[in-house]
Amino acid sequence: MTRYVLRRAPSALVVLWLSSVLIFLVLRAIPGDAATAMAGPDATPETIAAIRHDLGLDLPVVTQYLHWLGGLFTGDLGRSYLIGGDIADLVGTGLGNTVVLTATALLIAVLIALGLGPLWAATRNRWVDRVLTAFHTAAVALPTFVTGVVLIIVFGVFFRVLPTGGIPPKGMVDRLDITAQYLVLPAVCLALPVAGVLTGFLAETLRGELRQDYVTTVLAAGVRRRAVVYRHALRGALPVAITTLGLQTGALLGGAVLVESIFSWPGLGLLVEQGITRRDYPLVQVLLMLSVTVFVLVQLLTDVIHAALDPRIRLGAQS
Amino acid sequence: MLTVKDLRVSFGAAEAVRGIDFTVVEGEILALVGESGSGKSVTARALLGLLPPTATVGGSATLGDRELIGADEESLLEVRGSQIAMVFQEPATALNPVHTVGWQIAAVLRAHRSLSRTQARQEAVRLLDLVGIPDPGTRVRHYPHQLSGGQKQRVVIALALANNPRLIIADEPTTALDVTVQAEILSLLRDLRDRLGTAILLITHNMGVVADLADRVAVMHQGILVEQAPVEDLFARPTRAYTQALLAAVPRLGHRTPSSPVSAVDALRLDQVVVRYKDFVALDGVDLRIAQGEVVGLVGESGSGKSTLGKVAAGLLHPASGTVSLLGGDPSASRDRLGFIFQDPAGSLNPRMSISDCVGEPLRIHRTLRGRPYHNRVAELLDAVQLPRGYARRRPRELSGGQRQRVGIARALALNPGLLIADEPTSALDVSVQAAVLELLTSLQRTLGFACLFISHDLAVVDSLAHRVTVLHRGQVVEEGPHHEVLRTPTADYTRRLVAAVPIPDPVEQRRRTREVAPVT
Repeated sequence: MTRYVLRRAPSALVVLWLSSVLIFLVLRAIPGDAATAMAGPDATPETIAAIRHDLGLDLPVVTQYLHWLGGLFTGDLGRSYLIGGDIADLVGTGLGNTVVLTATALLIAVLIALGLGPLWAATRNRWVDRVLTAFHTAAVALPTFVTGVVLIIVFGVFFRVLPTGGIPPKGMVDRLDITAQYLVLPAVCLALPVAGVLTGFLAETLRGELRQDYVTTVLAAGVRRRAVVYRHALRGALPVAITTLGLQTGALLGGAVLVESIFSWPGLGLLVEQGITRRDYPLVQVLLMLSVTVFVLVQLLTDVIHAALDPRIRLGAQS
Repeated sequence: MLTVKDLRVSFGAAEAVRGIDFTVVEGEILALVGESGSGKSVTARALLGLLPPTATVGGSATLGDRELIGADEESLLEVRGSQIAMVFQEPATALNPVHTVGWQIAAVLRAHRSLSRTQARQEAVRLLDLVGIPDPGTRVRHYPHQLSGGQKQRVVIALALANNPRLIIADEPTTALDVTVQAEILSLLRDLRDRLGTAILLITHNMGVVADLADRVAVMHQGILVEQAPVEDLFARPTRAYTQALLAAVPRLGHRTPSSPVSAVDALRLDQVVVRYKDFVALDGVDLRIAQGEVVGLVGESGSGKSTLGKVAAGLLHPASGTVSLLGGDPSASRDRLGFIFQDPAGSLNPRMSISDCVGEPLRIHRTLRGRPYHNRVAELLDAVQLPRGYARRRPRELSGGQRQRVGIARALALNPGLLIADEPTSALDVSVQAAVLELLTSLQRTLGFACLFISHDLAVVDSLAHRVTVLHRGQVVEEGPHHEVLRTPTADYTRRLVAAVPIPDPVEQRRRTREVAPVT
């Protein structure tokens, strides 16, 4: 297993390095640099030059890149131009909130998929099938900003049972019941599209597994259909579902930007939105790099879980 | 013990089984024989209530005093595995790839008996030992992909035996296996019947297997039982025309007279050919020559390198060392003088092309003919393989397996090949269809005079049309010579074992041979 991870690690590092170059170059290719944006429309060329010197933007691009890359390793990420404050602090605070939100959303999505996927795959009841098909289509098709607004109107305005936005005033761990109240709407909103996709993939893969010969073997040996679905076939369907889940973390990271804006959740998503609208490039640069890193790590983890679940990958195909 | 009366199964308007009656008594082996689509597998699944919900089942099947047809799921659960168990055709897919074999046996044991995990594990080891798996204590922790095909089939049999069933339904249990492995599995099944008294309903298309194992035979054709008789009677005195035709179509070793020598000019010549896949040596210094107009049969078991040799001959694979000469030149330069027939006629024809496009494809690729001469040639080829010209505009899926293989042959002949490579061209076909295709191939070879490399695992098929036979084992030629010598008086040890393992479609002779050879469990 360790050997398997070591074999995959170099390509992950190459992806990370190439992404860092790409992110750095793309942000510098945008017309109008940060100094112009900071100085405002009436600034003299001298002021702009001063700011540029201050930010190190007058240095050669390669030097700038190396400075930045060095900062990524030492944790000295520089200062935000416009929001103010140390980038490392900003990102640190936001990261905690976002992790709480996305982890909850991920958990909800996985629970929904594990509950509904096998049911959908194995059902012979036409109505169950119709209801699940409708759920799947709605969850995949409805954009987050629609479900988010609907959730706020229904639970925050109409029924007034849940807060419409923000985070618990005394932090996440002080009163867990209050945290849950604040968390439920944004987390469900973020989870729904992922849950839809995941349920669909799990059900479809499971249907394929249920058509395999080995299912007939155990059915003919007198194992109950329910046990066949959950104990025998599900394990074979999981690798595909896990791969899908890994790819869906991308959707989760993107979705967080929208959901955090809708629910005023002070996480990385909100920070990305503010950073981009205010051209706070050092901040955006770090946030993009962070998303890429998370995504690459998740893919690596997906492969490892995949290998752990499938003995043919883990043990090699020798006989 | 099992009494089936007027069993009927239909899928919508299509009737798969049309009212059949048979009984299986304690400790008996009844063979249900028939070609594909005769309804034999559907019958087996109907008994256990394993047909899809689209099937309508009627009639009666009683096990002791329990009615199986129309029984509810709960009472069927009691029957499945503990009264009637099943063994399937393809051991590679009949086991779950992501669980250990011990886990799978334990799951089946615990479906019927309340055993602790440890007890179930011990019982699994005992069962693996019972079916002759060496070192069962270690093997119980292995995954299916770590076992050989024969071992996997033994595990499937262990699964079937787990809850001491009175009857095992074995659906083509040896069809996917090599002949030597088949011989071992057949001897295991016979041994289990003798030791445990388990009755076996053997479903098969292979008359050699029937002759080897069955006490009684029921012949099925288009959903009806045409004949039932004790095995010796059925082979000696088949009463129905269909049974007679079926028996006549079975290829037998040693029924063809030796053939005369042919041309001295080589169509294909391989010298010291070596092919490696990473560390695995697929071909290890192979010499082979096929004279013009000569048919050479290449036999061997799976993994012996047969198909690799075919690819080398066709210039699709370049050997690591050694030389290949096709019609006096490099194989890749003589593609337009080469025909190739594949094993799976369904998979080797493009489903989106018409039959005439499939047949004419080589002509279009090599731009040999166009316009009217092209269409004339396609029509001529369809005539040659005895397909109606009206089929030209049909799609492959509208044809039967045998007809599709005729299309494959027509396509292979399109360029007037100097060498035809046929890789297991009849293994996917029923015996009667196989007989017709072999006859066609033989007569075309006689009239057109092409050389042919005929690759097959079936010795009797090779014996029916090859001039010479080459036996391949683990990438090496172990024996080579005229067909009647190699297949009747083999000198190499491996060839002797191979020939001895093929069950003869004659119960009296086959049982005499089985007694002579010590059981291979």
